[in-house]
Amino acid sequence: MKKRTTTRRTFVKGSLAVAAMPLLAGSLSQQLAAQGRPVTKVLDFNTTADVAKAETEGEFTYYSHDSEPGIAGILAAFNKDFPKIKGKYVRAQNSTLFSRTIAERSANKFTADVIQFSEPATALDFQKRGGYTRHVSPQAEFYAAEHLSNPVGDYFWVGVTFAGLAYNTEKVKPEDAPTGWKDISKPVWNNGVNVKMSNSGMQFVQWYELRKLYGDKFWSDFAKVRPRGFDSRAQQFERLAKGDDKLCVLAEYAGYLLVKERGAPVEFVAPADGLPAAPLLAGVADKCPNPEAARLFIDWHMSQRGQNHQQTDKFLYYGSVRKDAPAMPGGKRLADYKLLSPIKDMDTFVASRDAFNKEWNAMLGL
Amino acid sequence: MAAVGGVESQPALPDFRARVRLMEMVAMATIVATVAFLTLYPIYYLLQASFDVGLPDTRPPTAYGIANYAKLLDYPAIIWNTLLVTFAATAMALVFGFMAAWILTRTNVPFRRALDQLMTVPYYVTPLLGALAWSFLGAPESGFVNQVWRKLGGTEALIDMTSPFGIAWVMALFEGSVAYVMISAVMQSMDPALEEASQVMGASRRRTMWRITLPLVMPGVLGAAIFVFAEMLGSFAVPLVLGTPARFYVITTAIYHFISQYPPRIPLAAAMGVSLFAVMFAMLWLYRWLTSRTSYVTVTGKAFRPRLMDMGGLRWWLFGIVAFYVFLSAVLPVATLAYAASQKIAVAFPAAANFTLEHFRQALSINAVRVAMWNSLILGAVTATLGVAITGMLAWIILRSKIPGRGALEYLAMFPQAVPRLVFAFGMMWAWLVFPLPIYGTFWVLLIAYLTVFMPLGVRAISGVILQLDKSLDECGQVCGASFLYRLRTITAPLLRPGLLAAWLLIFVASVRELGASILLMGPDSKVMTPAIVEAWFSTSSELTAAMALIQTLVIALVILAFGLLTRRVAHHGAGAQ
Repeated sequence: MKKRTTTRRTFVKGSLAVAAMPLLAGSLSQQLAAQGRPVTKVLDFNTTADVAKAETEGEFTYYSHDSEPGIAGILAAFNKDFPKIKGKYVRAQNSTLFSRTIAERSANKFTADVIQFSEPATALDFQKRGGYTRHVSPQAEFYAAEHLSNPVGDYFWVGVTFAGLAYNTEKVKPEDAPTGWKDISKPVWNNGVNVKMSNSGMQFVQWYELRKLYGDKFWSDFAKVRPRGFDSRAQQFERLAKGDDKLCVLAEYAGYLLVKERGAPVEFVAPADGLPAAPLLAGVADKCPNPEAARLFIDWHMSQRGQNHQQTDKFLYYGSVRKDAPAMPGGKRLADYKLLSPIKDMDTFVASRDAFNKEWNAMLGL
Repeated sequence: MAAVGGVESQPALPDFRARVRLMEMVAMATIVATVAFLTLYPIYYLLQASFDVGLPDTRPPTAYGIANYAKLLDYPAIIWNTLLVTFAATAMALVFGFMAAWILTRTNVPFRRALDQLMTVPYYVTPLLGALAWSFLGAPESGFVNQVWRKLGGTEALIDMTSPFGIAWVMALFEGSVAYVMISAVMQSMDPALEEASQVMGASRRRTMWRITLPLVMPGVLGAAIFVFAEMLGSFAVPLVLGTPARFYVITTAIYHFISQYPPRIPLAAAMGVSLFAVMFAMLWLYRWLTSRTSYVTVTGKAFRPRLMDMGGLRWWLFGIVAFYVFLSAVLPVATLAYAASQKIAVAFPAAANFTLEHFRQALSINAVRVAMWNSLILGAVTATLGVAITGMLAWIILRSKIPGRGALEYLAMFPQAVPRLVFAFGMMWAWLVFPLPIYGTFWVLLIAYLTVFMPLGVRAISGVILQLDKSLDECGQVCGASFLYRLRTITAPLLRPGLLAAWLLIFVASVRELGASILLMGPDSKVMTPAIVEAWFSTSSELTAAMALIQTLVIALVILAFGLLTRRVAHHGAGAQ
């Protein structure tokens, strides 16, 4: 690990560097300055966390929806850069994590330092309940405004996961192979299609975006092929790989890479109309017991180092929305895909959650 | 008798006896208060949630009503599915358990001791492991059996483990082992003189079994039925793994989906869970009614030596029946998982390019998993030890004391069993979050949760054996002036030892494989194993999950083996001392 120093000189240099950033929006720099926290350079990224204090705290607790190996991986990568800070975690599905955290807070128990949700609606709800500590990261300059919370500093888009179609090449004849979204309702897929359950934020985005593209009838037509719902992309791709299903309608690219690596006869299709994309959102929790370690982790996560880790860790494979993000495994960048994301109409999107739950649950026989 | 001999040395001072009696009352009151607190405290929060019609995810609720219960009528198919699978699986499990118990405790079947050990193996296995294994074997498309069948020329699937029957079959296979442990503990304590008398009078073996053995072990069978029924009602892993692909949902899987979607529908899930109280208590009432109608005492002051029926050549057939059950419920699933875990993508036909040990390497390299395994073992041992003490006393109070309300105590103890663990966990979380002592997120809360949810298991396992003990044994000690605690130590406990050891083992294994409560209650420093395994199934692959579940099973097996050796040595030592 490189030696870190937080002298007055580096503080002044860092502050000047921030002040001189030409790309930084005025409001962002003002908010950064308003925090009254010195910007220091650690390793190769800027942070407003007090690194010495963070090391004294010595630990932080990360609440996340991610998989166990995914969380363990990112905490280990952070710990490699900051050996004196140990990351602990609580892992649960997005909604359970939300319920648990809300219950803890209502009982005045504040154990989460950093919290990450897999759905914008959850993060917005958490924000409305005052769940985040405002932390404007110097890394925010590398993110477009739509990838940061409003106001800035509550949470940021850790990355996005996007989905196309995937089919089993041994079970599907070449002439039947899908090319676009409208192909998913063909009778050839009867009882051989999988999607995710309504608990998936990604599935919600797909439902919303494709309904916007093709109209309300799109999903009711699809319901006729009797799709099966699963909780995770791992389960979806496993069924596809083994031939239990022929088509995966919400085929996350990250899941595809993982199963392809294992030699599965699966092909990914990126429909020309675009790929639904859902963000993962992380922020520092309000009244967290280890605020400096939490801030440092968020700054690190937003930096090239953190983003590079999550783009290449096979249990994450999240595309980075950072402006200068390196290419993903396979050589492509997020910008190379046409993504469908409800950034512009977030309020309408969030408000349609109940309608989605109702339609999706009914379609899956629940 | 040792107890009577021991009583002679007891001081006969009246104030001493009064003090002892006072201590007994205090001990009983403590047990009753503990049980009431452990169950009613979280149930209060659960009931509160089920009537919550206020703002979502706001605690305490902002408004109350019965809308959540009214919504249950919107899900008749789910209720029907639940009852169908539960009754079918309970019936099958009881048949498996009773047959095996009778064969292994009452007949001279070969390799009896080995089979007895093997019969408990399915219970050591997490339900998820069993479900996964049978999914590998019997999924309509990719199931190994069906792949082989198609290779041989078959067109349709030969077996379908995702059908309601398949789900009930898998549940019964693994719960049959629980029924076996409970029923065999009762059968072991039964005086064979009654069966011998029947045969001397000319009754056939089959007639003896139906007319003598079965009625005598009825408390054990009914106790097992109640417990297994409740387990089936709250079964989650099997319907999740096998039912979801076929769009077949039961109450637990529906609850799971309701609490995991956003916004979480916890009030509806709580109403679903609470409504199961009615079903469960109807069953418990039936049990109490049946067991109160007649006496099931077979262990009296008269000494007996367990004798086995000579089955002649039939004994090899009986051996085959038990061995086949063990094969289907333990050997085949474990072998299937070992095979699947050593492949990149599990398929029926092996190929060198598909072989890998990466899943085992990965399972062992996850640091959190290693820590979680160790935590699970410690928690399991502590829970089992405390659990046996508490539930043993509780069962004794329910069945043998004269304290008012002891019947209600039994219903109280069954509460945690009546609600699916996933929902009950929310009640516990809310309860222990606001508890004045800072135990939330620590091992203590897991220990309390385990003691609560496994209370019915301990009570059921021990009650069946207590019912068989003749009250006159205890009364004899009482007449001779022995205090309650002294009688407990010198008369009751030694006679209950097989039942207590069985209960310890059951609670230990149940704790190590616990899932529903742990998911919600474990903190960053108190991780346990089974949630990590289930998590692997959700987020990585069945093959890695299989590797992790196999490692867990192996560790549990080693602990059980050590426990067996230890108890045998203690028994030998005790016999030698006498």
